[in-house]
Amino acid sequence: MGWGKRYRAGLVAAGAAMLAGLGFSNNALAYSSTGDRLFPATILLPQIAPGDEFYTNVMAMPLTPSGVGTPNYVTNFDEVYAKTITDRLGIFVEETDTRIDQVHAGTLSGWQNFDMSLKYLTILDLPHEFLFTLGLDREFGDTGARRVGASPSGATTPQVFFGKGLGDLDIGYLRPLAVTGFAGYSAADSRPRPDLAVGGLTVQYSIPYLESKVESFDLPDFIRGLTPMTEFIFSTPTGKSFGERTTALFGPGVSYAGEGWELAIEALVPASRATGRGVGVTAQLHISLDFLAPDTIGKPLFSSP
Amino acid sequence: MPRMLAFLLAVLLLPISLPSVAMAAPAGTVVGVSGSCFVQSGGQRAPLRVGQPVQVADTVDVPADGKLKLRMTDGTVVSVAAGTQMTISAYVTDAGGQRQDGKLSLAQGLLHAVVSPMGRPASFEVDTAVGTAAVRGTDWFIEALPGSAQVGVLEGSVNLTSAATKRSETVPARWGARLEAGRDPVPARLWAPAEFQAVITRTEVP
Repeated sequence: MGWGKRYRAGLVAAGAAMLAGLGFSNNALAYSSTGDRLFPATILLPQIAPGDEFYTNVMAMPLTPSGVGTPNYVTNFDEVYAKTITDRLGIFVEETDTRIDQVHAGTLSGWQNFDMSLKYLTILDLPHEFLFTLGLDREFGDTGARRVGASPSGATTPQVFFGKGLGDLDIGYLRPLAVTGFAGYSAADSRPRPDLAVGGLTVQYSIPYLESKVESFDLPDFIRGLTPMTEFIFSTPTGKSFGERTTALFGPGVSYAGEGWELAIEALVPASRATGRGVGVTAQLHISLDFLAPDTIGKPLFSSP
Repeated sequence: MPRMLAFLLAVLLLPISLPSVAMAAPAGTVVGVSGSCFVQSGGQRAPLRVGQPVQVADTVDVPADGKLKLRMTDGTVVSVAAGTQMTISAYVTDAGGQRQDGKLSLAQGLLHAVVSPMGRPASFEVDTAVGTAAVRGTDWFIEALPGSAQVGVLEGSVNLTSAATKRSETVPARWGARLEAGRDPVPARLWAPAEFQAVITRTEVP
């Protein structure tokens, strides 16, 4: 997932746009599951497990301009294709198209650097609704447009991911709660791109889990498919910052799950001026290829039985 | 004379008025037995052996030390794991061996069904206490547990419907889903290979 890429987008406009990068969706969580727990697709945080899926999202967010010609609004269109190699090993490829509106200076647009990552599902504890994944992300430097922040330097990011549902605990109506998260360290190939510590958490409350595992309420169909959730993501430079600042973003929203697809929408609430100057919005459509095409493109290249 | 007419009418209507005539239709044949397995048929309990036919309304009882494999009249193969009780509620095939209707009732235990594909829609359903699984041309498992049921699909797809809420969940190949009494089906998820292997092992008849 393109943490570095997203940050590169931010470098175009120094601190303000950096945060824009923070909100750019990369490797959104999709249909990861353990036991009876399904973790819905998230938008801000990376996926916590490999899968066969395609998703696309759009993010729009006001930035903090510092004068004429500096960015004051960013819009990103992100596409990710994920493919499982084995049942536990998967690869992700991602492209992001960025548009940056500048103060009295028109609009810049272009692609971010190409990004690819590998994930290996290390622990899958079904009874405890827990999973743990190791990941390695690679952003290929100088493959995007510098005018929108694509860096000439690449970056490599080792990552860890987890998901934990609370359904195995005796906590009544709180059993539909789940927490997911990730942490990583983005090591830049060269200066002046900084190294970054990145991480995030989500808190989710699954109505489908409530209806199927806790108590069946007579709710409308639409409500039965909803999972309210809040995401939080941050990044902070380590070592020499080269002007980068700590950024953090909240994403309260909701996901609706259909059969083989999900639609999610979230507000983007910056936690600091370095992150942005106002509330943005993001939406994502996720297609679960392993559900819709389980015998063809939706299955691992090598699998059993 | 009226008595004669009544007698004739009664004779003519006899097959219609006695569903047991239809219920006794052959539904399949035992093609594999491991350990001691039994059939409850017409109030009689008898051991099952290879080659023996099973009828509609029969209940097969596979104890903890047994396994059973049936080939139904349409070619569908049903493997029954140890600790299973299953009734053949309905099984209708036409003269060409095409299934018109197939319905099993699973009181408890685990089934592996490799359902023979039909040239046209033909139902194959398994009822449990908590819901029904309906399939078309597929290789799948269903397990009935106290207060719940679960389905795993190797090929094709299965529609799992809650008896209580009538809500359904589609389960595609390589996925599985659970159903708990009185609730909606749990959303389907990918099954790990180890999960499939576990139910394959339990239903394999040596």
